[in-house]
Amino acid sequence: MSVLLNVTDLESGYGLVKVLVGVNLKIESGKSVVLLGVNGAGKTTLLKTIVGLIKATKGKIEFDSDDITKLKPNKRIEKGISYMSELAIFPNLTIEENLELGGYFKDKGENKKRMELMFNYFPDLRKFKNKMAGSLSGGQRKMLGVAKAFMSNPKIVIMDEPSSGLSPKFVKKVIEVVKSFHDEYKTTMFIAEQNVSFLDIAEEVYVLDMGKITFEGSVTDLKSNERLREAYFGVA
Amino acid sequence: MLSYALIGGIMYGLYFGLVGMGLNLIFGVMRMINLAHGDFIMLGAFLTYWLYYLFGFNPLIVIPISIVVFLVFGFLMYYVFVPKLLHSKDPEMLSFILFFGVSQVIEAIIILFFGNNQISVPSTIFAKLFNVSTFTLFGNTFPISWLVVSVACIVAFVLIYVYFFYTKLGYATRAIMANRHEALVSGIDVNKVSAIAFGVGIAAASLAGVMGFFMIGAAFPSMGTDLTTISFTIIVLGALGNPLGTVIGGLIYGVAIMLMQTYFSSWTNVLPYLLLIFVILIKPEGLLGKAVRNV
Repeated sequence: MSVLLNVTDLESGYGLVKVLVGVNLKIESGKSVVLLGVNGAGKTTLLKTIVGLIKATKGKIEFDSDDITKLKPNKRIEKGISYMSELAIFPNLTIEENLELGGYFKDKGENKKRMELMFNYFPDLRKFKNKMAGSLSGGQRKMLGVAKAFMSNPKIVIMDEPSSGLSPKFVKKVIEVVKSFHDEYKTTMFIAEQNVSFLDIAEEVYVLDMGKITFEGSVTDLKSNERLREAYFGVA
Repeated sequence: MLSYALIGGIMYGLYFGLVGMGLNLIFGVMRMINLAHGDFIMLGAFLTYWLYYLFGFNPLIVIPISIVVFLVFGFLMYYVFVPKLLHSKDPEMLSFILFFGVSQVIEAIIILFFGNNQISVPSTIFAKLFNVSTFTLFGNTFPISWLVVSVACIVAFVLIYVYFFYTKLGYATRAIMANRHEALVSGIDVNKVSAIAFGVGIAAASLAGVMGFFMIGAAFPSMGTDLTTISFTIIVLGALGNPLGTVIGGLIYGVAIMLMQTYFSSWTNVLPYLLLIFVILIKPEGLLGKAVRNV
């Protein structure tokens, strides 16, 4: 399988504060990869650096064999990266408008087809399509965020803590949806989480700690690592 | 007398909605107060004056010229100033200082070239064009120019509404208003969309300048400061950061001004400041709007 996202010796941070210290990771096309890390480990910083919201101070980011390290965020999105932040939606826009912005650079006809697909996945969104996104419940907002992330038919979907603020029931639903998109459309997934909720769909796991990748391997490898098993599964 | 003040106030209010529109649009998108806003209204007035006296252009013909000129000017001005400001530590505070400087420069240049004089176009210009000088509404007679200005303002508001709610550019603009970073990672070229919004804001201000002769009288180089204060009052009255709330702010302001002029005329000049202080103390997010920022 070809490498879709290749991050080499990446460093970035906020002003003088360096958060990422020489991060390396390789995500193969079509794989589902989970990035585990506690609060403050640098997960969001890493994702934001990959999508271009934070400038890399050192290192290289390659996507689909192109060096995107210096590209503007919108140019990276056009290349096929989709990013779902913790906020993910625009509360002052309707659901339909939010979805349309999910496929901002696509043509109208393609967007229409894609929106129909999203409405089939999320019938609630169709029901409320003319409502402001800000009026949705937390779970519905997350669903809209997921639908928006898949709107542009991206090569990779990068998600920042999709389970945060959700009840276990909704987390299960989000996982189901992500899994079905991944299975059906072979979309590459890169999901940052501080808990193990998404490990069921992980084909590969990275652990980020204090801005460094400290583990790389399968879920089975993770479980067999005593320190990490204790940290993330709570069992020695 | 009351019905005259109310109907006249609504027409005045529509005009003042246009006066504040550009300031609120730029604030909504960039979270920056354009202290040179009033100076662009003044520039619109000067453009109208010169095109009238040099080429005999009717202000209605100046409208599209002014929109194009200031849209392009605002678009370019965005790229010169705003991206640099946004990268600074405190963009809001720096924007105050920078646009104050821009305001002073515009005023000084106008004085340098045209002198510190009052200018005006004949108030009968529309009366001649339409062959009618007044119109009557509910028994009250108003100058025809008020009707022309009101219609021009309504057309401008409808166009801004369409731009905001029925175009992809409008969705993108509203997305930036909600969250600039989220807009960036949605694939929106935030700088380009913001530059267009900046241009639209400056063009709306210039349009208020074109129409200004018929509602607020003669124009002069230093009129910008007062107009910026009035605009600020209007956008605080409506909803800070919500451009269409400006229309409501303008209407409240227009009716209040007319009522004051009718019943307590000597207090009229104090009104904008009183309203500003009152609203900021009682409901700082505006009479209608939700809070769009944490001050």
